[in-house]
Amino acid sequence: MTEGNAQHPDRDGSPPDQEPATGSGDGSRPWIRADGQAKATGQARYTADLTFPGLAHARLLLAGRAHARITRLDPTRARTLPGVLAILTQADVPDLRYGSFDYVLDRTLFARDVVRFEGEVVAAVAALTPEQAAAAVAAIEVEYEDLPPILDVEGALRPESPLVHPDIDGYAHDPNLDPSGNVAGRSTIVKGDAAAALAGAAVVVRERYVADMAHPVPIEPHSVTADWSGDRVTIYSSTQVPFTARGKTAEVLQIPEHRIRVVVTHLGGGFGGKCDFHFEGHVAALARAARRPVRLVLSRHEEFIAPDKVTHAMVVDLETGVAEDGTILARRSRILLDCGAYASDTPVLGQIAAMMIAGPYRIPDVDIEAISVYTNRTPAGSVRAPTGPQACWAVEQHHDVLATRVGLDPVEFRRRNLVHDGDEGPTRQRHEGDGAIDTLNAAADRIRADGPLGPGEAIGVASGWWFSAPGASGAFVRIESDGSGRIVTGAQENGTGAVMALPILAAEELGMRPEDFAITYQDTDTGPYDGGSSGSQTTFNNGRAVVEAAREVRRQLLELASVQLEASVADLELRDGHAGVVGSPDRRVSIADLASTAHDGALLLARGSGLPPENPEHDASACVGRLGFESFASPTFFCHAVRVHVDPATGIVRTRKVVAATDVGRVLNAPGATGQMTGGVVMALGNATMEGTVFGADGRQRNASLLDYKLLTTADAPEIEVVFVEHPASNGGPRGSKGVGEPPIVPTAAAVANAIASVTGTRVRRLPMTPERVWRAVTTGDDGATEANAPFGPSEAALAAAGIGRR
Amino acid sequence: MTERFAAPTSLEEALAILGRDRAARPVAGGTDLVVASRQGRRPLPESIVAIDRIAELAHHAVADGSLVLGGLTTHAWLAETPEVRSGWTALADASAIVGSPATRGTGTIGGNLMNASPAAETTAPLVVFGANVMLRAIGRGSRIVPVASLATGPGRTSAAPDELLTTVVVPAPDPMSGSAYIRLEYRRAMEIAVVGAAALVTLAGDGTIAAARIALTAVAPTIVRAPEAEIALVGAAADAAAFRAAGAAAAGAASPIDDVRASADYRRAMLAVVVARTVAAAVARARGESIPIPASRWAHGQEV
Repeated sequence: MTEGNAQHPDRDGSPPDQEPATGSGDGSRPWIRADGQAKATGQARYTADLTFPGLAHARLLLAGRAHARITRLDPTRARTLPGVLAILTQADVPDLRYGSFDYVLDRTLFARDVVRFEGEVVAAVAALTPEQAAAAVAAIEVEYEDLPPILDVEGALRPESPLVHPDIDGYAHDPNLDPSGNVAGRSTIVKGDAAAALAGAAVVVRERYVADMAHPVPIEPHSVTADWSGDRVTIYSSTQVPFTARGKTAEVLQIPEHRIRVVVTHLGGGFGGKCDFHFEGHVAALARAARRPVRLVLSRHEEFIAPDKVTHAMVVDLETGVAEDGTILARRSRILLDCGAYASDTPVLGQIAAMMIAGPYRIPDVDIEAISVYTNRTPAGSVRAPTGPQACWAVEQHHDVLATRVGLDPVEFRRRNLVHDGDEGPTRQRHEGDGAIDTLNAAADRIRADGPLGPGEAIGVASGWWFSAPGASGAFVRIESDGSGRIVTGAQENGTGAVMALPILAAEELGMRPEDFAITYQDTDTGPYDGGSSGSQTTFNNGRAVVEAAREVRRQLLELASVQLEASVADLELRDGHAGVVGSPDRRVSIADLASTAHDGALLLARGSGLPPENPEHDASACVGRLGFESFASPTFFCHAVRVHVDPATGIVRTRKVVAATDVGRVLNAPGATGQMTGGVVMALGNATMEGTVFGADGRQRNASLLDYKLLTTADAPEIEVVFVEHPASNGGPRGSKGVGEPPIVPTAAAVANAIASVTGTRVRRLPMTPERVWRAVTTGDDGATEANAPFGPSEAALAAAGIGRR
Repeated sequence: MTERFAAPTSLEEALAILGRDRAARPVAGGTDLVVASRQGRRPLPESIVAIDRIAELAHHAVADGSLVLGGLTTHAWLAETPEVRSGWTALADASAIVGSPATRGTGTIGGNLMNASPAAETTAPLVVFGANVMLRAIGRGSRIVPVASLATGPGRTSAAPDELLTTVVVPAPDPMSGSAYIRLEYRRAMEIAVVGAAALVTLAGDGTIAAARIALTAVAPTIVRAPEAEIALVGAAADAAAFRAAGAAAAGAASPIDDVRASADYRRAMLAVVVARTVAAAVARARGESIPIPASRWAHGQEV
């Protein structure tokens, strides 16, 4: 694409004006998403593809060091360089502190006095060419006084530790949190008296598991273009959360929200890395100062270090007591989450981690604590199923260890302890359906049906749960004068196909075909509010909104038809593009004719939003740090079973087959749901054995490139068998559906870990389970998890190493 | 930033540009040059001579038993051609695992050698086969350089700036021989060897090892021979004990580095494993047994 070929995204074939492709209307036949062809053929335009007359180019000055005081910052000379239009620092924007989720208001748009992680933005340049912008960034005079980087979450909790935020006591914060020292937040999930129950347990197992940070790595790096017209700015952004991006831009630049329009063209993947507000504020401020449209596109290196959305490095200590028959009696756990330099949404994710450590198991007494700890690393946040994979990886290995200790097969151990319909959860919510057991049985049966194991092979299983996320969301549905339909939604399509599948829901309500609908989306000026493509919530919430709007249009259509057909509304149905009298095939009128009539009077036009489902009843009176996840709404249950080969001489692990069994409530579109499961498993396998961020002692990332940060390739993907178990949720999304996007990434690494332990006879307690770590565990017994400060006394592994057995 | 770009269609023209423009750098597939530039490791050269349209560099043939390859021979051709797969199997093993299908279709053997990466896949096989390259410059004709002495360090070769690699000549191995190249890989595509080894083993009539050449990838600044491992093999029975002894000898003599991809002690331990498995594969092939190409797919999980 060439400069000067200025095209507005509204008219260049991109969203927000998308014509769906062919498919079916009843939701039971496969619906092929409309945006696939444009993406596969290269016609889809992404944010960085958009051109504008006079477009200028942005570049960020990043700290390049983990922790330092800025002793001098002077852009004077850089401002004189050729082509430079604007250079901004914190001195040039409203000097206010914000929090990207308002849990702790701990950050500023640009660094003020101190940089707290390698990718922190110190200044931003707009220039006529990218080269001139780079030259200006290099010419900004900045001097630092390095401070000791705080990199170890346990060390950061010691009283003598230096602080990431020495002024934390003055920061505004959520009233349910009490940030102090290096602790951004603390949440507990408590039921009964775990200490007493543990004292009476026949078998108690204590262990530590340690997970490294990992990256979401979308193919498309972050990209933002801002274009002012008078006092209004349009921001084209590769964001998963356009309304959040708009709201935070308004907050940090002190502009009313209605003067900001956020538009997303096609999004090249996000995986949570594009949740939150990132660079929209910087670029909008630059464009205002430069008096031109300004575009920022992160390089791949910057994409690794700068966006504050990575998975949490975690230290998980677990202590579980079981009866001799394997019944779980009690669990204690402490989870340390490395939230990095800024709190972002980590405090609430800690609460989710605690719920994940409890899991969908019957545990009478629970005492789980999650502490979000500041360090000088990249801020972590809501990457696909945030904290879920690490927590599940830890606790599901722990369950295999427990099973071995009581002499039970791992599947039987789970069968005895997983929740059934009517059982209570960790805060006494009542579970619905037998999804946990059914998925376990399905996955275990299918993997065993796969034939005998070869040499070096073993099976591993892991179960878990994940929430659906009720939230506000809106949509409009209207019928045009020719009888075609349009959905106008605030929802964001991040590649999952959730928005692209909305026509299925509208079509079903209206007796039309999905291909009769176009979708207008990803534009905050046009669509009503939606929380964005995060938390597996798009179909769950926006699907409900579309159904509600479509039902109102249905009512409008039936009223019109009632007059034309001289029949009672109660006797009418919408079917095959017509309104007709039930049982009288000749008495019908087409929706096109009704729409034509409507365009002489009251339009066929409706909105939907409705109240989100409430969380299930629960008792969280013993819990602190309550941020809304004291119970899990319409939880998804799942079990993955894997067949894995381990080469003990090299530590190389090859996953040969994965059975992913999931209770998603109700499958609305099989290709979409299957695609989410398949992609999730592949991503999870990369997290299991390869993807982990390596930091130097200076707090800088050592593998911030696609050469050294390895993702799984297609050539490595195993056979994946997807199994759906359907127990519709009584308080769920459309037709009892539950969230689908995040669950498949949660249990795979845990299942692989259990298979590794089964093949090698030793356990790897460090994620990712790289070949070198597996090899080291096999050859030296070193499980990779250090445990100098385990809160409940020495772990199983340490006791075993010391020759002390526990019983 | 690149200021000059030429795309000659004849060798003479290309050599003339390289002779008069000291900043000129040849590019064939561009798979290393462009990636290095995009990653910010090395800017694109000031002057680029694209040699991919020069027909005189695109030949490949078996002549007098030797494999004669123009510098533009692609990895894909080497991986797929029956004569290479049967006669110079280690070279096919290596070519089949370079990068991705796109890299193999675009990347060339000349580029792979002149890029002089310590982790280059095709170099170790060419070293054990005793291959030579022809370097040609305007006004000086051609000279022959053994592949083993072409690279002088990471990214550095003994070629002069105006010299172009025109041809690679790979002699025919002994009839009673077999060869293999195996790398330790964390994933199956878009991968670079953590460590790798090529072996060319000739069996005596009694089944013992008559001759062995072994070269190692990614354990030194250049691809190196492993004489300790070769000595351990010659005269030995071709069995697992000998393969392991060769691995141990290679590992004992190597001094690999610690980096973000692997620790030095893991690399050393893996060198022992990879060398043993590579020799095992080469011996199996010398015996006429079928080992799949690429052998790296077969290797991991083998008992040796």
